[in-house]
Amino acid sequence: MGDAGYIVLLLAFAAAIYSAIAFALGGRGGHPALTESARNGLLAVFILVTLSVEVLVFALVTHDFSIEYVASYSSRDTSLPYLISGLWAGNAGSLLFWAWLLSLFAAVVTFQKRKSGHELLSYAATILMTTEAFFLILLLWVANPFRTMAFVHPDGMGLNPLLENPGMIIHPPALLAGYVGFAIPFAFAISALLTRRLGDEWIVAVRRWTLLTWLLLGAGNIIGAWWAYMELGWGGYWAWDPVENAGLMPWLVATAFLHSIMMQRRRGMLKVWNMVLIILTFSLAIFGTFLTRSGILSSVHTFSESGLGPLFLAFIGITLLGSLGLLYFRRKELKSEAEMESLVSRESTFLLNNLLLVGAAFAIFFGTIFPVISEAVRGVKITVGAPFFNQVNGPIFLAVILLTGLCALIGWRRASIKNLVRGFLWPLAAAVILGISLVISGLREWYALAAFCLSGFVLFSILYQWFREVKARHRIKAENYFKAFWDLLGVNKPRYGGYIVHLGILLLAIGIIGSSFYDVEKEAVLMQGESMSLNNYTLTYESTDQYDTQSKTVVSATLAVYNKGKLLGKLIPEKHFHRNHAQPLTEGATVTEVAIRSTLQEDLYVILISADKNGRAAFKVLVNPLVNWIWIGGGFLVLGGLIAFWPERQRQATPRQPAKKGNRDEH
Amino acid sequence: MLKRKRFIFVGLIIIVAAGYLGFVGFQSAATYYYTVSELTGQESPAYGQTIRVNGWVAPGSVEQEPGSLTLRFTISEGNQSLPVIHQGVVPDAFKVGNEVVVEGYIDQNGILQSNNIIAKCASKYVPER
Repeated sequence: MGDAGYIVLLLAFAAAIYSAIAFALGGRGGHPALTESARNGLLAVFILVTLSVEVLVFALVTHDFSIEYVASYSSRDTSLPYLISGLWAGNAGSLLFWAWLLSLFAAVVTFQKRKSGHELLSYAATILMTTEAFFLILLLWVANPFRTMAFVHPDGMGLNPLLENPGMIIHPPALLAGYVGFAIPFAFAISALLTRRLGDEWIVAVRRWTLLTWLLLGAGNIIGAWWAYMELGWGGYWAWDPVENAGLMPWLVATAFLHSIMMQRRRGMLKVWNMVLIILTFSLAIFGTFLTRSGILSSVHTFSESGLGPLFLAFIGITLLGSLGLLYFRRKELKSEAEMESLVSRESTFLLNNLLLVGAAFAIFFGTIFPVISEAVRGVKITVGAPFFNQVNGPIFLAVILLTGLCALIGWRRASIKNLVRGFLWPLAAAVILGISLVISGLREWYALAAFCLSGFVLFSILYQWFREVKARHRIKAENYFKAFWDLLGVNKPRYGGYIVHLGILLLAIGIIGSSFYDVEKEAVLMQGESMSLNNYTLTYESTDQYDTQSKTVVSATLAVYNKGKLLGKLIPEKHFHRNHAQPLTEGATVTEVAIRSTLQEDLYVILISADKNGRAAFKVLVNPLVNWIWIGGGFLVLGGLIAFWPERQRQATPRQPAKKGNRDEH
Repeated sequence: MLKRKRFIFVGLIIIVAAGYLGFVGFQSAATYYYTVSELTGQESPAYGQTIRVNGWVAPGSVEQEPGSLTLRFTISEGNQSLPVIHQGVVPDAFKVGNEVVVEGYIDQNGILQSNNIIAKCASKYVPER
C-alpha cells in the first residue's frame, strides 16, 4: 500500500521534471505541440499527486499502521474528521499536502489561461513545476510519508489530543494554501522578467490569485489566533511565536504588494518594487514552511527535527538570488512611466503604507531570527520577546491604519485642500467626540486613547466616504439609498470589497488595542464556597466533578459568576487527562478546556490550573476587553476579500488607460 | 528633483523612527537563551537576570501540590539538570520527557524561579528515548 503511494510520487516527480523542461523549450521555441504535451505532463503531475494523497488518506482511514506516518498520527480511536486531518498533522504529510496544493493551483492556472494563449504561462509553468519537483524530492528522499515500519503498531499512537479541535480542520489547510498560492504570482513575475513582457500583463494575470491567497493566509492566521485563544488555555491569542510570525510576514508583504500593483496599473509606477515585493512574499512563504520543520528556533509548533533544513535554505537562497539577479538585469526595462507629483496624493500614501508594511515585516523577521544571528556573531543565543514586537509594530500598525483612512480620502495625483477639508471634517469631529467620551468614561492611558481615536477616525472616514458615494449615486440615478448602496457594491467590487476589508482591519485593531491595554488577570487558590473578584466580577467556586470517559478523565470545577451581586451564570472550566493507549506506562496528554463568558464588551476567561480531592482548586481568571471584535473583524476581512475577489462582470483584463477620469479606482 | 529629495527625506525620517523603536523595544525584550548544560557549565550564571532555559522535563521530578499554583520540577539535558519552581498556569504540552523553554531567573539557591513555560507542542508523540 505504502509502496503504491511512493511509486506514484516517483512518477509524479518524473512528470514534473518533464513538464518543466517541455514548458521551457516550448515557450522558447514556440512549439505548440511541445507546450501541449507539457500541459498534459502538468495535468499528470496533478493527477498522480492527488492519487498519492488519496493513498495516504485511505491508509489513515483504514488504519494501515504498517505505514509509520499513519501509526504516528492516528489511532483506532481517532474519529473520521481527525483521521483525514492527520494528512497535515505531521511533517511528511503536510509536505505532501503542500505539493498537492501546488499541483492543484498549477493545474487550475494552466487551464484557466489556456484559451487566452497566455505568453507568460510557459515559463510560469516551468517555475511552478520546478518548485513542485523540489517538494517531490523532499517527499521521496527525505520525508517519505509512505515509509513502512518493520514493527506494525497494533493501535496507532494517535493524534495529539491538543490537535483535536475544529481549528485543526481549517487552520492548517488555510495557512498552507495561503503559503502555496503565492507561488502563482511569483511564477508569473519571473516569467515576465524572462520573457521581457514587463507591462501590466503579469499583474492583471495574478491579481485575483494574489488576493485569494492573501485572503486564505489572513484567514488562516486569524483562525490560528482563535484556536490558540480557545484551546491553548493561556488567555491570549498571539504570542509572537516564530511560527506565528512566519505566517504574518508574507501576509504583510503581500498586503503591500496588493496595494502597490494598483499604482502600477493606474500610473505605471513602482514596477521594480512590485517585483521585489512578490519575490519577498514567496521567499517568506517558503521560509515559513521551513521554520516549522527545521527546529532552528524554539516554537510551540515545531515538528520533530528532520534533515529538511539545509535543503530548504538552499531552495530559498536560489530563489532569492536567482530572481533578484534577474531583476537586476532587467532593471532598465522597468522604468517608471510617471513621477510622484505631490506628497499629498494617493500615490504617496500608498508608497508610505508600502514602506511601513515592509518595515513591519522586516522588524518581525529580525526579531524572529535574532537568536540565530546572535549565536553566529557572539556565540550566545539571545531571544527577543513579545515586548519588542509590540513596541516596534504598535506604532507602525497605527500609522498604517491612519494611512488607510487618509488614502481613501485623498485623490490620485494631487489632492486639493478644499476636497481634503470636506472629506476630513466630519470624521475628525466624530473622532474628537469619541476621544472626549472615552476620557469621560475613565480611559487615561494616552497611547490607548490615541490608538482608539485614530481607529475611530479611520472607521468614520471610510463610512463617511462610502456614504458620500452612495448619496451621489442616489442623486444621479434617483435610486433609493438601499438600492444605490447595493448597486454600487456590484459595480465596483474591488473598491467596496476593499472598504469592507479595511473596516475588518479596524475592528481587528480595536479588539487588539482593547485587549492588550486593558486586560487584567488574577490567579487564586480557592476552597469550595470561597470567592475571588476581578473588576466587576465575583466568582464563587461551588464544586468539582470528576468522571471517566473511554479515553480520558475529566476534572471540572463549577464557578458561579456574579456581576456587582447579580448572578450572570455558571462557568465550568475543565481539565482532560488523556490516557495513552499506545504507551500505558507513560503520562498521557493534558488538555485544558477553558470556560469563557463572551460578550461584545469583554470576555471573562477562566482557566482551571489544578484541583484536589479536598475541594481546593487553583484558577487563573482573565478579563479580556473587546476580544470578540477581533473575530468579527476577521469575518469582515474574509467577506470583503471575497467580494473583491468575485469576478467582475465586464472587462477584467483591460490595459491601463492613460489618465482615465471617473471613479473606477480599485481600492 | 526637489520633490524627490522631499520623498527621500520623509523616508529617512520613517527609517530612523522605526530603527529607534526597534532599539528601545530590543533593550526591553532581549533575553539570554541557554540550554541546561550551557548554563550549568558556566562559571557565573547570571543571577537575578531574566533568562530562558531550554531542557527536558526530568522523569519523576514533577511535584504539583493539587489545588495550588506552585509547581516544582527539574529540567535536564544529558546528565546536567536544573531545579525549577514555577508559579501559575502550565501549558498543556508540558509533560514529563517533553522539551520545554522556561523563562525566569536563577535565585541564590540556584533554583530557576519561573513565571513562564513554553512547551513545544510536538505535533507528534515522539516515543520517549
